[in-house]
Amino acid sequence: MTVFDRPLSRRRLLSGAAALAGGGLLLGCTPGAGDSASDLSYWHLMSGGDGIVMAGLVDAVNAMNAGFRAEQTVLAWGPPYYTKLAMASAGGRAPDLAVMHASRIAGYAPGGLLEPWDVDLLAEVGVRESDFPPLVWQKGVYDGKLYSIALDTHPFVLYYNTQHAEKAGVTDAIQAMNSPEAFVEVAAKLQRVTGKHGLSYGYLGDGSQMWRLFYTLYRQTGAEMKLVPGSPAQVDEAAAVKVLGFVRSLLNDTIATRSGDGGTATSEFLHGESGLFFGGVWELPVLKESKLPFDARPIPTLFGQQAAYADSHTFVLPRQSTVSPERRRHTYQLVAELLKRSVTWAGAGHIPAYQPVVTSTEYQQLKPQSHYVGIPAYVNYDPDVWFSGAGSDFHKYFAENVQNVYLGSGDPAAGFDGFVQRLNKLLDRPQPV
Amino acid sequence: MPTAVDSPATAGLVVAGGNRMGAARARRDESLTGWAFAAPFALLFVLFLVVPAVYGLYLSFTGETLTGANGKLIGLANYSEALQDPDMWRSLGNTLWFTLLSTVPLVLLSLAFALLVNLGLPGRWLWRLSFFLPYLLASTVVVLFWSWMYNPKLGLINGVLAELGIAPVAWLQDPNVAMISVVVTTLWWTIGFNFLLYLAALQNIPEQQFEAAAIDGAGKWRQLFSIVVPQLAPTTALILTLQVLASLKVFDQIYMLTNGGPAGSTRSIVQYIYEAGFTGYRFGYSSAISYLFFAIIVLVSIAQYKLINRRSAP
Repeated sequence: MTVFDRPLSRRRLLSGAAALAGGGLLLGCTPGAGDSASDLSYWHLMSGGDGIVMAGLVDAVNAMNAGFRAEQTVLAWGPPYYTKLAMASAGGRAPDLAVMHASRIAGYAPGGLLEPWDVDLLAEVGVRESDFPPLVWQKGVYDGKLYSIALDTHPFVLYYNTQHAEKAGVTDAIQAMNSPEAFVEVAAKLQRVTGKHGLSYGYLGDGSQMWRLFYTLYRQTGAEMKLVPGSPAQVDEAAAVKVLGFVRSLLNDTIATRSGDGGTATSEFLHGESGLFFGGVWELPVLKESKLPFDARPIPTLFGQQAAYADSHTFVLPRQSTVSPERRRHTYQLVAELLKRSVTWAGAGHIPAYQPVVTSTEYQQLKPQSHYVGIPAYVNYDPDVWFSGAGSDFHKYFAENVQNVYLGSGDPAAGFDGFVQRLNKLLDRPQPV
Repeated sequence: MPTAVDSPATAGLVVAGGNRMGAARARRDESLTGWAFAAPFALLFVLFLVVPAVYGLYLSFTGETLTGANGKLIGLANYSEALQDPDMWRSLGNTLWFTLLSTVPLVLLSLAFALLVNLGLPGRWLWRLSFFLPYLLASTVVVLFWSWMYNPKLGLINGVLAELGIAPVAWLQDPNVAMISVVVTTLWWTIGFNFLLYLAALQNIPEQQFEAAAIDGAGKWRQLFSIVVPQLAPTTALILTLQVLASLKVFDQIYMLTNGGPAGSTRSIVQYIYEAGFTGYRFGYSSAISYLFFAIIVLVSIAQYKLINRRSAP
């Protein structure tokens, strides 16, 4: 007996340890499964400055003691976030509330990864369709059901150095530009003032940046891009070639540098080495911090029709296998409270989607935010298809085919054709979600 | 790329002491104890390696996607699609190109550095430290400061080139240069490990051999090729094996430096597998490519094993 005693007890110890470890693993696998109906799990992808503002908003809502507490989980932006969210939803153990880009809804709603919002329940907590710009609200609707509620719209805009503009005598011209020629003229005048470049635009190695400017201008020509799985991409090649040619003409090392990536462009503009800067509204906090004399406006209408590329952070209900009505009600309240406080969110540059906030004097006094507040009326999101949207491979495919065009070494028609062929290949495949 | 390489499972053989009854019983007890000790590892190994690997193989014959909507068996369709997928071939080609570009200098330069340090230069600890230190850094840190050095406008490298009157180079954005830049970063980062292995092996060569050779009239070069290189052969074989496997599996520094761009020129096969599965949502297809890649790694390993064994045979 004594011979066996030790191995046996050791084994018992081992099995005990294994059971403990296994139990721990299993517990670790259930995100957001707080037992109490008042603890809500909330996933989002806001880091940096946005993350601080969002954390402040959540804290403010929690401080109301409205019968629930939101626990935020911050995940890395881009594919990691979307993959985790999709897998959590596919497994039915998703958080109570999550943030998604409006441009990604098309990839998630039809696959049953999201649950629609109950419009009546939303109205009860004070959120109605009439509180949102029509295009922004519509983007959240899929098959007649509302799948996402926008917190903001964050477009690509034009920043300009007010001091340089005055010196170059283009302060009024910046507001009046309405053709490619007028834009080039302003940029050239500014270039003579800075002695370096007229315009800063970071795009190298960044497909999203290339796409944002292209799509803004492409839509300004009135051209559309419709992507329907099972049939070839519907695009306007002549318009695309015209726009690509124009972008390439800007990147001539005089108006703007050909070798500009995101960091270069921001730093150039911050150091007064350029007068104009194409960037997202999310760049605003950095520019403000630098005390640079600058202002912002929508990207001017150069090709006839008002259009702007943008995306929205939206609230969604990921699919859960068991839904507690009480938690759901709290989730609706949480969203309503976050929307009502979104003037704080505007501090990070974004345009709040909730109109009572936008029309408030507090928001109207924010400069330069209020100078581009009209964009949601003519906003353009990525084409609605499962593989497009923020942080998706769609932007990457664009870069793979178009970067050489921007760099001046590729042919615009061939570059755009390559992109369309890539899209057709994806459209031809069965939809994975 | 320094990757934790699984040490080959050294199977402990229980040597029978004799053929008496007691010995047999003792042997049984001993093996029970052994199993008990191995159980936690074996359990985790089966749970997190064997089961997923077998499941992955099964997935590769299905059309499984993220939502689990298409989990039907579709035979070899994924494999035949992969073999006709130009992006798969391109990524595989990039990976082999990276392996070649990185392995050769990582072996030759580490040997050269080890020899230099072993010469007995003053401040030897400083050399040793400076070659090995980058290896200790996390890939994120390495990528962060190399991406600043490579920055086309503000980077250190183009700054130096500008001083010399050379036009700026888009190190990570030019499809013709990006892979070289990735290789240089990898070299700087990982050479320390091979260097250390060589240095240890060098210090194990008995001093008497050099003395004897010197008495026989062999010069420094003769000693290098007749003593050092042959004595280092087992180390070279080890380094070569580890390096080829690590380079084939390259992912993190490329993913962070270029994200596979520009225009797919640095996308590795591991990144393609990741994209097919996690951003393209096609788990079945992604599994099929992983198994194709696995087959290649097995072939390369067998070839290397044969090659090395033949060389070390008398």
